[in-house]
Amino acid sequence: MTTVPQQISLEEWDARYTELQQAGLHEPEYGGPLSRHVECEGDLRLRQLRFDNSAAALRLWNFLLTENERLHKARAQGDLLVGTMKDLGTVPAMVYSLPGVRAFYPDGTWWTPCLMSCTDRLLEQAEALGIEALSCPVRAMLAAFENQEHFPIPDLLICSVGATCDDFSAIAQRLAHLGHPVIWWEIPRRRVPDPDESACPLPGGLSAPQVQVELVREEIERVAVALGDAAKRKLDTQLLQAGIRAANVVRRQLAALRTAVYGSAGAPLPALEMLIAEMLAIHFCSDRTECIAVLEELLAEAQARLAARQFIAPPDAVRIYWVNPPADLRAINLLEECGGRLCGADFMFTHALEPIPEDLPPIDALARVALADPMIGSATERARRIVADCRKTNAEAVVVARIPGASHCPWESEQIRSIVRAETGLPTVELEVPPICDGLLPTLRHRLETVIEIARARRKSK
Amino acid sequence: MKVYCTSPWIPVEWVCAHGHEPCGVWAAVDELPSATAEGVCPFARALVELASKNHQAAFVFTTACDQSRRAADAVLLQSHTPVFLFNLPATWQTPAAHRLYRAELARLGRFLERLGGFSPSYLELMLVIRRYSEQRAMLLDLIQHSPARQAAEAVMQYFWPDHAKKPASAGKVTAHGVPVALIGGPLLPSQWGIFDVIESAGGRVVLNATEPGERCLVPQLTLSTDNSDLQAVLADHYLDHWVDVFQRPNTRLYDWLAVRIAQRGVRAILLWVNLHCDLWRAEAQTLRNRFGLPVVMLEAHDIPANLNRVTTRLAALIETVRSGSRPADLHQPRKSEPYAVQRTNPGDSP
Repeated sequence: MTTVPQQISLEEWDARYTELQQAGLHEPEYGGPLSRHVECEGDLRLRQLRFDNSAAALRLWNFLLTENERLHKARAQGDLLVGTMKDLGTVPAMVYSLPGVRAFYPDGTWWTPCLMSCTDRLLEQAEALGIEALSCPVRAMLAAFENQEHFPIPDLLICSVGATCDDFSAIAQRLAHLGHPVIWWEIPRRRVPDPDESACPLPGGLSAPQVQVELVREEIERVAVALGDAAKRKLDTQLLQAGIRAANVVRRQLAALRTAVYGSAGAPLPALEMLIAEMLAIHFCSDRTECIAVLEELLAEAQARLAARQFIAPPDAVRIYWVNPPADLRAINLLEECGGRLCGADFMFTHALEPIPEDLPPIDALARVALADPMIGSATERARRIVADCRKTNAEAVVVARIPGASHCPWESEQIRSIVRAETGLPTVELEVPPICDGLLPTLRHRLETVIEIARARRKSK
Repeated sequence: MKVYCTSPWIPVEWVCAHGHEPCGVWAAVDELPSATAEGVCPFARALVELASKNHQAAFVFTTACDQSRRAADAVLLQSHTPVFLFNLPATWQTPAAHRLYRAELARLGRFLERLGGFSPSYLELMLVIRRYSEQRAMLLDLIQHSPARQAAEAVMQYFWPDHAKKPASAGKVTAHGVPVALIGGPLLPSQWGIFDVIESAGGRVVLNATEPGERCLVPQLTLSTDNSDLQAVLADHYLDHWVDVFQRPNTRLYDWLAVRIAQRGVRAILLWVNLHCDLWRAEAQTLRNRFGLPVVMLEAHDIPANLNRVTTRLAALIETVRSGSRPADLHQPRKSEPYAVQRTNPGDSP
C-alpha cells in the first residue's frame, strides 16, 4: 500500500495503472489495465463502476474478468471442464481435488448482461429459447450455452435440484432439452429434526436430521463417481481430503478478510470488492492456486490499511448488512456513495464460507456443508442467521436486494425483513435491482439514503 | 380431521388409512386472489390464505416448487394451522430418491398420528390401498369416455370425495371439435368454464393433464401376497409413476404425453399456467418442439376475468388448425433439440 485508499473510475484506473507500472508492478499472466476489458470484451458496465485503487484490487478484477479466457486456455491445454450448477460451493471443492479438472458455474453468466450493459443480448436470446422475460436474469446462462460466445461448453454438467429456485430449475431443464446432458443430484429442503429423529450438526450452527445428511451423502457419492469416470481417475478419500484442505485455505482467507474488513471501525475495502472476493469461495474463479494468491494480496492490503488507519469508508459510515447479490454491480457502489459501508453480507452462499469439517469422512463433510446452504432451509432460519450476524457485526441497517424474477425473493424478502425488524429493531429496506439499474438509480439512492438517515437518527437517540 | 393435500403426489390413501379425511385442496380454493405481490404465484398465495384461516384442519404442502415450499413457510410464520411440508424428490431415477420418498411418507404418517390419527394395521392399509387403486382404475376408464368437464369433476371427487354433492355423471363424449390437450398446473373448479370456452371455440379437450387431471392418477396398484411392506410398495408405486413438470429430468412427463397425444389425435396443446409459474411456463418451447403441435399459453388468471380474450385466441387457434395451416408462432423443430420430431398427426376429426 503506497497511496491513500479511494474508489476511482475506470478512466482514473488507467492513470493509476501507469503509475503502478512505473513503480514496478508485478502482475500475473492475466494482468493488464482494467480498461482493456471494455475495449476487448465489451464489459461496458465497468465505465459506471467505482473501483478500489489498490494493486490488490486490480488483480482481483483482472482475475474475475478473465475467467472465460482462462477457461478456454485450460480447455486448449487439455483440462477437463465441469459445469456445476446451483449448489454454490460444494461440487467445486470435489472437482478441484482431481488434477487437470476445473469447475465453474455457468450460473455466473447472470452477471454478463450487467457487465456488458446488455449488449451481449443474452436475455433476449434466452427469451427466444423459451425462457420468458419475467424470469430471473440467470436465464442468460441458457443463451450463453447456445451461442457459445462466453464460457467453453463444459465436458460435464452437474446440477443440484430439489430445494432450489424454480427459475433456475426450469432453465437447467430447458438446457437439458436442448441437448446438454445434465447429472442431477438431489438436495432436499433442510428441515428441523423432529423430536424422535437423530439430529446432525451442520456448519454455521445449523442442524439437520441424520436421514437428510445420509441422503445427501449418497448423492454426493454419486457425483464423485461421475467425476472420477469423467476424469478417468477415482476420486478417492485421499484426493478429497487434500481438496477439502485446499478449499479450506480459501475459506479461512475469506474469514480473515471478512473479520478485518467488516470488523473494523472504518472500511478498509469497498463493498463491491468484498462482494467479488466472497464470490471466489464458490469455485475459486476457475483457478484455485491463483485464487489463494489473489486473496492473500487483498488481505494484506486490508491489513496494511487498517494498520495505517486508512479507510475507504470513514468510521462514522453507517454499518450495513447486505442480503442477496445485486443483479447490477453498480447498485452496491451506492453504499459508500450514500454514506454507508458493508459490515456483513449473506450473498446466498454463506455455506461456502464455512470451513468444511476436516475431521469427518470427506463425503460426509461435504454433505453437511451442502445442507448448510441458506437457500434450502426456511426463510425463518435464514433470517435468524442474518439476525445473529447483524448482532455480531454491529449492523445498523439491513438491505435486502431483490433479484427480479427469482422465485425465492418475493416470499422470503418480507419474511426476512419482518424477523430482522422484530428481533433487532434495525431499519431495513428492500431494493429490487435489475441487471442494469440506471433507470432506477435515483429511487435506489433515495431508499438507501432514507434507511441510512434512520440509522443515523437511531445512533443519536441512543 | 380434514387434511388438505396440495399435491396429487401425497397418496390420499395414506391419509385415509391414518383415520383422516383427505381433501384435494383444489376444490377448496374458490378463486385465485386478484392481486398478489409481484413474483408470487396466485395459487400458492391462495393456499396460504386458506391454510391461515383453517386452524381446525391440517395442510400438507410439498417441495414440488419453490413457491409451494415457501408458501408453507409463510403459513407456519403467520398461523397455528398444523402444516406438514412434504419433501417430494425432484430426481426419480436413483435409490436415494426412493428412500427419500419412503422416509417422507413415514414422517407424514407420524404427523397424522400426532393429529389424532392412528397407524393402520397391515390389513387396514391393504384394504384402503386396494379401494383407492380400484377407484383410480375405474376413473381412468371413465375419463376415456366422458366429456372433459365431467371427467375433471370425477377426478376432483377422487381427491376429495365429499367436496361435491352430486356424483359425477359419465355424460357423452362429443365427437365434434378439434381434439386438444390441456396441460399444466392447478385447474380449480371455478375455472372449469375453460372447458366450455374451448368447446365454444370449436375444440374439445381429449387430454386433461392439468392438476388434478388424468395426469395426476397413478395407475392401479396390484398387491400381491409377497408385499410384506405395504408402505414401501405404495411409496415406490407413486414415485415410479407420477408424472410432473418439476421432476428432473422431466422426460417422463413427455413420454407420458407422447403416448396419449398420439393415441387421441391431439391437434393442439393448450398450456395452462399460473402467473409466475416458472416451471410450466418454461416448457412451452419444448412442448412445441417435441410434438410439433401449436402451443397456446392460457393464463389461469384470465379465467373468468378475460374470457373474451381467451375465447378469441382459442377460436383463432382452432380455425387455423382446422384449415390445416400452422400458426405463425409455431417454429420448426430445431435440429439441435433431441426431442424434435416431425409431426405425424392423424387426420382432422369430423
